[in-house]
Amino acid sequence: MTEYVIIGDGISGSSAAETLREEDPDSSITVITDEGEALYNRILIKEHAKGKLPEAPISIHDEGWYEERDIELSLNTHVTGVDTDEKVVRTHEGEDVGYDKLLIATGGTPTQLPVDDSDAEGIHHFWTFQDARKIRESAEAADDGVVVGAGLLGIDFAAVCGAQGVEGKYLMRGDRWWRYALSGQGAEIMHDGMREVGVEPVFDSGVDHFETDDDGRVVAAVDPNGERYECDFAGVAIGLTFNTEFLGDIDLEQDNGIVVDEYMQTNLEDVYAAGDITQFYDVLLGEQAQNGSWGSAKEQGRIAGVNMAADGEAEAFEWVSSYSITHFDFPFLSFGHPTLGDEYAERKYSDTEWRRIAFKDGKVVGGVLIGDLAPQSKLKQLMREQRDVADQKEVLLEETVDLDDLAPPQEQ
Amino acid sequence: MATTTSTGRTLTLRRVDSVAADATVRHIDQLDENALELFYAALEGARPLPATGTDLEPGTVVVATEYYRVEAA
Ligand SMILES: Cc1cc2nc3c(=O)[nH]c(=O)nc-3n(C[C@H](O)[C@H](O)[C@H](O)COP(=O)(O)OP(=O)(O)OC[C@H]3O[C@@H](n4cnc5c(N)ncnc54)[C@H](O)[C@@H]3O)c2cc1C
Repeated sequence: MTEYVIIGDGISGSSAAETLREEDPDSSITVITDEGEALYNRILIKEHAKGKLPEAPISIHDEGWYEERDIELSLNTHVTGVDTDEKVVRTHEGEDVGYDKLLIATGGTPTQLPVDDSDAEGIHHFWTFQDARKIRESAEAADDGVVVGAGLLGIDFAAVCGAQGVEGKYLMRGDRWWRYALSGQGAEIMHDGMREVGVEPVFDSGVDHFETDDDGRVVAAVDPNGERYECDFAGVAIGLTFNTEFLGDIDLEQDNGIVVDEYMQTNLEDVYAAGDITQFYDVLLGEQAQNGSWGSAKEQGRIAGVNMAADGEAEAFEWVSSYSITHFDFPFLSFGHPTLGDEYAERKYSDTEWRRIAFKDGKVVGGVLIGDLAPQSKLKQLMREQRDVADQKEVLLEETVDLDDLAPPQEQ
Repeated sequence: MATTTSTGRTLTLRRVDSVAADATVRHIDQLDENALELFYAALEGARPLPATGTDLEPGTVVVATEYYRVEAA
């Protein structure tokens, strides 16, 4: 009987556990998580923090789900070490859990701002359900908020401020939100969305330090220009630090995450990784890549489970990821790798509609759609087909994309 | 989709402001490609949502720019 151990009960770990049970009914499966609750819907916790969604629908699995599948779940258990020679996982309680095959699905932890008082009361980071509960409580009581981190997670804090009636200042380092994926035109639509919910973007700013009162509560953020922004609520989302500390000095190949191939295999035998934590081989891109989205993490967990159970390379990970922002009146979708292009095409269609497509070596590798998401399935299809279309940008920028207007692949 | 056309049953989307504690809630990024396409088509009024062929069941709330509850037509 094969013994599988999975570290992490996020969507990647949990989907691997479910797959393993289906693929290898007689095996032993242990899932270890340092959180106090079983899998929940991480991408809905922002709705709870906004005050819009009660707690109950956010839970995905209760403990009974694991019992029914004969999966051993260890809550509140932090893995402190892995010995790949002895094939054991060490927990904070000093327990050793043996494995035949190990899956590391530990994701990341929000990075703290390296400035004074960045852990003061009232300053929040956003990853867990517990974080969301605290953010909700704190935002409900707050009047003035400051948000730092001009990316996909920072904007959730801006949305929390908006929904909770907190007057927000969104301090950004450059001249626009998500400058790696959006031009000024696209970003301006997002800035208008922020303003409409009562959050003011502040450019060429950031946080130099926070000020606190005698009780250690945040009272202001001071930016590098010396501007002072009073706040009793602050949200920091400047990036993720991957949870690899417990791996110590084992010989696992890492590169800002754990390096895996398209089968989710690491360089060490019987050790796999899945989810946010991986630097995976992207078969569509033809190189290593990283992805921080729910769908991708879920699929990587499934693929890892399939290959672990098969003890071979049974199925490769091939996926076009999506990440939406739903906080404003208009929809926003980022797909694939919108920042990895060597060429771009973009167009603005109205005050709330904009499109940008990223190409690499002539192929679509990602993009951002604002306002009108209708072209998404066609653009994703081109990405999957790896068609050479960069010389036909006009067709892809038409308001309605018709793939029949593209030159047939054989004529190119 | 043969079942859908033979029974002809469809679902509708109703915008809701609040969510019951026992509701099933899905974020738009959690729909598979097929469900997503059908969801958007239904939202734009282009086509009703088929009652089968997706895992969008009556009662499910989908979080998009608004919250939408899937209901029997
Ligand atoms: C606020 C927020 C909003 C988001 N919005 C979206 C969205 O709209 N769309 C989208 O697609 N994605 C979104 N994401 C991203 C998405 O949630 C992640 O990509 C996905 O959940 C990653 O899953 P994972 O299983 O790889 O990692 P995680 O969900 O991070 O799970 C890893 C688990 O491992 C545990 N762990 C770590 N180290 C140890 C250890 N040493 N011992 C034991 N346990 C350990 C962690 O506590 C955690 O429970 C959002 C994320 C957040 C935080």
